[in-house]
Amino acid sequence: MNVDKMHLLEESVTELPPPLGGRVKAIGFGVGILGLASASVLGYLQEDHYTRFSFSYLIAWAFFLSITLGALFFVTLQHVTRAGWSVVVRRLAEGLSSQALLMALLSLPLIVPLAMGNHALFSWADHGAVEADHMLHHKAPYLNVGFFIARCVVYFVAWILMARFFFKNSLRQDGSKDPALTLRSERGSAPLMFVYAITVTFAAIDFLMSLEPHWFSTIFGVYFFAGCLVSFFATLILTGLWLNSQGVLRGAIHVEHYHDLGKLLFAFNFFWGYIAFSQFMLIWYANIPEETFWYLTRQEGGWITVALLLIFGHFIIPFVGLISRHAKRRTKILAFWAIWLLAMHWVDLFYLAAPALASRLKDGALAAGTLPLGLLDVACFVGVGGMYLAFFAVTMQKKRLVPWGDPRLNESLNFENA
Amino acid sequence: MTSTVYSDKEFDNTGADPTARAPLILGDLDIQGVTDVVAGIPEQPRTSKAWWIAFGISVSLAGMFGLLTAHLIYTGTGVWGNNIPVGWAWPIVNFVFWVGIGHAGTLISAILFLLRQRWRTSINRFAEAMTVFAVICALIFPGIHVGRIWLAYWMFPVPNQMEMWPNFRSPLLWDVFAVGTYGLVSTLFWFFGMIPDLATLRDRATGCIRKAIYGALALGWNGSARHWHRYERTYLILAALATPLVLSVHSVVSFDFAVAVLPGWHTTIFPPYFVAGAIFSGFAMVITLAVPARIIFGLEKLITLRHLENMAKVILTTGSMVGYAYGMEFFIAWYSGNATEGFTFKNRAFGPYAWAYWIMVSCNVIAPQLFWFKKIRSTPWLMLIVCIFVNIGMWFERFVITVTSLSRDFLPSAWGYYSPTLVDIGMLIGSFGIFFTLFLLFLRFVPVVAMAEVKAIMPEAHIHKSSHGEEPAHHA
Repeated sequence: MNVDKMHLLEESVTELPPPLGGRVKAIGFGVGILGLASASVLGYLQEDHYTRFSFSYLIAWAFFLSITLGALFFVTLQHVTRAGWSVVVRRLAEGLSSQALLMALLSLPLIVPLAMGNHALFSWADHGAVEADHMLHHKAPYLNVGFFIARCVVYFVAWILMARFFFKNSLRQDGSKDPALTLRSERGSAPLMFVYAITVTFAAIDFLMSLEPHWFSTIFGVYFFAGCLVSFFATLILTGLWLNSQGVLRGAIHVEHYHDLGKLLFAFNFFWGYIAFSQFMLIWYANIPEETFWYLTRQEGGWITVALLLIFGHFIIPFVGLISRHAKRRTKILAFWAIWLLAMHWVDLFYLAAPALASRLKDGALAAGTLPLGLLDVACFVGVGGMYLAFFAVTMQKKRLVPWGDPRLNESLNFENA
Repeated sequence: MTSTVYSDKEFDNTGADPTARAPLILGDLDIQGVTDVVAGIPEQPRTSKAWWIAFGISVSLAGMFGLLTAHLIYTGTGVWGNNIPVGWAWPIVNFVFWVGIGHAGTLISAILFLLRQRWRTSINRFAEAMTVFAVICALIFPGIHVGRIWLAYWMFPVPNQMEMWPNFRSPLLWDVFAVGTYGLVSTLFWFFGMIPDLATLRDRATGCIRKAIYGALALGWNGSARHWHRYERTYLILAALATPLVLSVHSVVSFDFAVAVLPGWHTTIFPPYFVAGAIFSGFAMVITLAVPARIIFGLEKLITLRHLENMAKVILTTGSMVGYAYGMEFFIAWYSGNATEGFTFKNRAFGPYAWAYWIMVSCNVIAPQLFWFKKIRSTPWLMLIVCIFVNIGMWFERFVITVTSLSRDFLPSAWGYYSPTLVDIGMLIGSFGIFFTLFLLFLRFVPVVAMAEVKAIMPEAHIHKSSHGEEPAHHA
């Protein structure tokens, strides 16, 4: 039923041209090192034992981690469902998911100080606080430094090995075109989905929910997961469009694929809204103080602006903006919404993490309701982002940017939104 | 109608070869063959004895339900086992159970349609029918649970002179709208999708009464390109509108519990957890009905092993999601440090209702894991057994949530133990009678497979595309 369209690939550039890759690497490393260095200096100048730095860094790190985890889910899902349409974009997703290794390295500035007794981020790591607080004492079997680090090791090992498994199979297939490798990935994908669900859930609880260790929500893992998918689809769309603009993969990733990616971006943003609403509405309605305090701090002063920004900017406005077929098929409009939603995803992480900062600083250092925004956030974002970009270019160099040997490659090239 | 004896082994299309898509319509069936097989069922000149026996049993049970309802209304809700502290018992359990069953149909017709899952075409018609009938069964329970049934219309915001409005802050009222909308859209979707097939029955009808009835239902369909164009656009829009409904209905049902401050009810994961559970139970019911139906009506070439296997995979996925939610609830019950919450979960697993809890866990979490084995998810009768367990487990899930939390809340002096009465049991069984009565009527008078949609995924529909020497195949 599919016409042979492999010529589309043969006529187009399917590798990252070395000068282009080199330029990306240079810019990425340059900006990354500059960003991280200035972040450390700015963090030192705060004279708060790197507390502000830790929060800003955590938000930036979680932002790029969520893209990576979204990519990992996407790759796994494509194998679970034996998807055909997405083959041409899968290699880029494999490359993004392989940044799990980089994210593990970049987690060291969060984990090493914790291991050395710094409790800038997590109040549960402070022995004095745990002694004085019955609730923290109750949670200590889970929220303690040793177990936390052990869990981090498990998460990163799981994600790195998972990403490697799919990436290696796919790369080996470039040469051999062996369908058995597809079968191998498919067989592995379903059980690995379980590993994914459990690790992502607990990682979200550990790194974000436990910033305010008294608070709890059973849906929190799903909430973080929804954000991962939104940021990933936005990133994938932008990566594809940027490559196309540089003359790479022009015939391969075409408007039909962008249309579908746009639908998924729309759908998962809707899903994010659904999960966010469920969490908020149930806590608001039941009105139990042990849960509502979390939302209450997020309605004080400047935080209400952030909350409203999320409702309108993350959910309602992009919902209207992305609903039409026209918006998803015009690449400029689609790119606009992808950038918009990435920005909103950062705001979302800021909203999750940063309100805990006030309680971690000395009394009065940060008035309640003040948004702790500053150059430090920019420096951390640029620093982690630059490294992410550079390592992504390193991962993709000298490799095909499409799964060249995938048996469903032609099906993907033929794909049309009927 | 084909009368050849069919063996699943002969046509095994469950292979996983990545180089080719597996065929979805098997054997020698061509376009005419599909029509003959499907339209042949309502056109049988004589209704089979088996149908009459099944119908007789179902109608009797439905009649029993009617009598019990009369008894309930005449005597009062005291005929049920509901009593303080368990004021919500089997009626709400049955309501949630049936709404859950009604989730597969719209998921298959709306979400799987948007996801371009072509295998849905063979099963969507009767899954949708099942949805509509399940929603009818569901709506009966809150309808007769209002105490003074002659005032049931108070649930609707009738703009009136009574100066009495329903309580808009109550999730029970949201239910009226959510389930009502869902029932309406599902019925519309089901009927709309059937129009071309009803026209086929009209055109094939021999008697003039048949012709008149099917003709009226076919709404003047003439199969022109213009009709098809409008039909397909409308179908797409209906699918897009129905998709959020699949999520919203059971989310709202979950709010009935989750907005309360009762331990075991109030937890934020309830909405997606209930939706996953609903899809889980809905698909289990589709398999429970499809496995016997495909053999009785000779539909094995249309509803193939691959269709059943795909559904088994959906059950495995959603069953695992439900397991995830059980696990999260338990973990957070401890993590929250809330003593009553922690007690509730210990009480569920080890208290007086432990038997119900472990039936739920075995049926909902452990049983679907059997679908990891290819042998089990490609042997119809084994699937049937697993799915019956899932149906039982999902009824018990609602029982565990409702009854364990209510029977032991904050105040030990107010604790109690709930037992159903014979009327409770009779009404649960009777509701199955209503469901099967409607389903059997559907099997007898309406095309059970969406003929027009199935034909669109057959190779004949893509003749102009298969010019490159590839074997034409209808793709999964």
